[in-house]
Amino acid sequence: MAKSIPILGGLTFLFSLLLFKIIWGIGMMPLAASYEAAFVDQAFDGMLKVTIPIFSLVLATLLYCLHQFRAQSGSLEEGVRFHGSRGGLVEVLWIATSLVLTLGLAAFGAKELRAIRGGDQADLDVQVNSSQWSWEFFYPSRNEYGSRLILPKGKRVRFLLTSKDVVHSFWVPEFRVKQDALPGKVVKLFLTPTKIGTYQLLCAELCGTEHTAMTAFVEVVEPEDFDRRMKGEAW
Amino acid sequence: MEPAATLGYLGGLLAFLAGVGGFAVFLDWLKGKEEDEKTTGWHPPQSSECQPGSRRDPTGWQRYFRFTMDHKVIGIQYLVTTLVVFIVAGIMAILMRLELARPGMQFLSHDSYNTVMGLHGISMIVVALIGIMGALGNFTVPLMLGSKDMAFPRVNALSYWILPPAVIILLSTLVTGGFDTGWTAYAPLSVKGPIGKLFFLLAFVSVGFSSIFGSVNFLATILGLRTKGMTLFRMPIFVWGILSAGVIVLLATSVVASSLIMVIFDRVLGTAFFDPSRGGNALLFQHLFWFYSHPAVYIMILPAFGVILEILPVFSRKPLFAYPLAALSFIAIVVISFIVWAHHLFTSGMWDLLSIPFMVTTELISVPTGVVFLSALGTLWLGSIRLKVPMLFALGFLFNFLIAGLTGIFLADVPTDLHLHDTWFVVAHFHFTLMGGAVFAFFAGIYYWFSKMTGRMLNEQLGKLHFWLFLVGLNATFIPMFWAGTQGMRRRVGDFPQELASVQLWISLAAILTVVAVTVFLYNLVQSWVKGEPSLSNPWDSRTLEWQVASPPPR
Repeated sequence: MAKSIPILGGLTFLFSLLLFKIIWGIGMMPLAASYEAAFVDQAFDGMLKVTIPIFSLVLATLLYCLHQFRAQSGSLEEGVRFHGSRGGLVEVLWIATSLVLTLGLAAFGAKELRAIRGGDQADLDVQVNSSQWSWEFFYPSRNEYGSRLILPKGKRVRFLLTSKDVVHSFWVPEFRVKQDALPGKVVKLFLTPTKIGTYQLLCAELCGTEHTAMTAFVEVVEPEDFDRRMKGEAW
Repeated sequence: MEPAATLGYLGGLLAFLAGVGGFAVFLDWLKGKEEDEKTTGWHPPQSSECQPGSRRDPTGWQRYFRFTMDHKVIGIQYLVTTLVVFIVAGIMAILMRLELARPGMQFLSHDSYNTVMGLHGISMIVVALIGIMGALGNFTVPLMLGSKDMAFPRVNALSYWILPPAVIILLSTLVTGGFDTGWTAYAPLSVKGPIGKLFFLLAFVSVGFSSIFGSVNFLATILGLRTKGMTLFRMPIFVWGILSAGVIVLLATSVVASSLIMVIFDRVLGTAFFDPSRGGNALLFQHLFWFYSHPAVYIMILPAFGVILEILPVFSRKPLFAYPLAALSFIAIVVISFIVWAHHLFTSGMWDLLSIPFMVTTELISVPTGVVFLSALGTLWLGSIRLKVPMLFALGFLFNFLIAGLTGIFLADVPTDLHLHDTWFVVAHFHFTLMGGAVFAFFAGIYYWFSKMTGRMLNEQLGKLHFWLFLVGLNATFIPMFWAGTQGMRRRVGDFPQELASVQLWISLAAILTVVAVTVFLYNLVQSWVKGEPSLSNPWDSRTLEWQVASPPPR
């Protein structure tokens, strides 16, 4: 038992290091183009930092057992009979650790969620009308419609999501935060684009035949270009 | 049209049950023959009609096609049905992987892709629901408890015979307009559209009834028909898995059935439960649906935990580590599973503050799940491990389920779920849970109990080949999906951007391995069933009661 601890510790460290190298090397997340995306990515990295060592520890123990306690072929040997650890120490420690970890993760998650949602104030309102299978954008302050979502960089936008028929979902992977649009209800979503570029808005909730094709372009422009760009696009 | 189709299906279902002999006993009673009080009581196996060779319970191969009440026959019926549905689901998966091998639409239309995807989903749900509980549970639980049969043999036969018509009407959706809702059937999408959607709903409701009947039977058998001296905490851990899953089925299935029946009412009778323009609420469906459908995951996984914790001690040659704690963790999972459903609704437009408690409860489930892992690792510790095929699958389960459980935490966490919800990250996660978990445990159970069921051994070499192909294929297929999901690959779409072309092609190629693996398994199964090596009654030197009788067990 005592000699297994350094081996298990070493293996766990090794596996963790390897996995961190690989996962960070690949890069899990796409470009982050909104203020909120930073918090999502932070939460994602936090989760990886907790789960990778757990994965490595269990895998190390599993492999150690298979290597150390494997019977020779044809052997009739029995295992060492015991029903639990001495005084239940291992069980109590295991449960206590997992309880603390999960509650800690939940607290961390709640804090991040608050940061992502922010307050109720916004610089610009955009009404997003979804229907099978297209998006339409309405800018109440300018009384203009568009089929392409144009947003000024660095301005906090309040999206008012509506649906004419079934449930759709508003998702720009680069903005991270996803929100369903429900029929008969206006759902609010706050986002602050931070990077100039063209992205794709995807419908993320299965909405029927052409769900796959229910996409629209999103353009983030400098605030001073916003007026000019809107004039070129609106109808 | 739709009311007629609904009534027609119900009539057809009853006619089918009559055809296989489901009502024979009532007809006899009407004619005044043979008062049959004993089957309604607590000790059914003694009643005359359950005796072998009697008119209504023929011996020989015919009994597999009749309303037979022997739990061992029903177990085999469930097993074969599960494998047939599994093959159907596999064919659907192959079609999807062919379509997704390259960007753009190859040979499926958007509509047929949706139907194929939905059929794959619901078929695999059925496999995971009935595979372990229906097939392995029916065969082994009464034997493990030292009981002669299940508590209600006729209800047991009924719960099986509802399935074939349900599967047939489910497959009929391929030619009746399909259903583009996926297996989740979200309203209001499921309220409109072709009649195929109605058939899908009817099939789903039927499967629900079947599993409620099955669970009542298991609960009554486990609580009432244990042999003398077998207290609850002396039962094999597999029986604990079935018992706790049975509790969830009984309490939750009626809720999903009600939500689906409400959709059927909206379609057939013109009600407006989910139509906001007439005062309905679209979000209501999602709450009712997930109130069952998340616990349903535990209906699939608790029996799987049972199989794995049953097998590990046998092949480590020592008792299960912390057995009472493992049984209690099953109960804890049952309790918590009822208060986690809204983690499927973090992005749905539900009140944001509700997300927090559901995040906490969902993450709490990892505590009892961790206990299962502790129990498994503690059993291996200082054991004398033999790597027979059932053990390999049990170990493979531990590896896969570790990935499944840990990636589940990303989805339980609201901030990360806002990005990951409805992406391939979720797809990869639940394939590790159900394919790497439930199906792995199902295979482990088949390799373990096959000799008890048939009196023959499965081929060990082919079994090992099956294991390695399946394990490598599964991981090579689904691990890249986590990455594709975070990159922006949505669920349930038949097309994808050019940037994901190479990873999609890789996934399609890796999926070939799993297809080969399953083919090897099916060949092994058929070949060994027909002319496999005869087995001893207790080839693994197990301690549980089912191994103390002959293989196959006498009736």
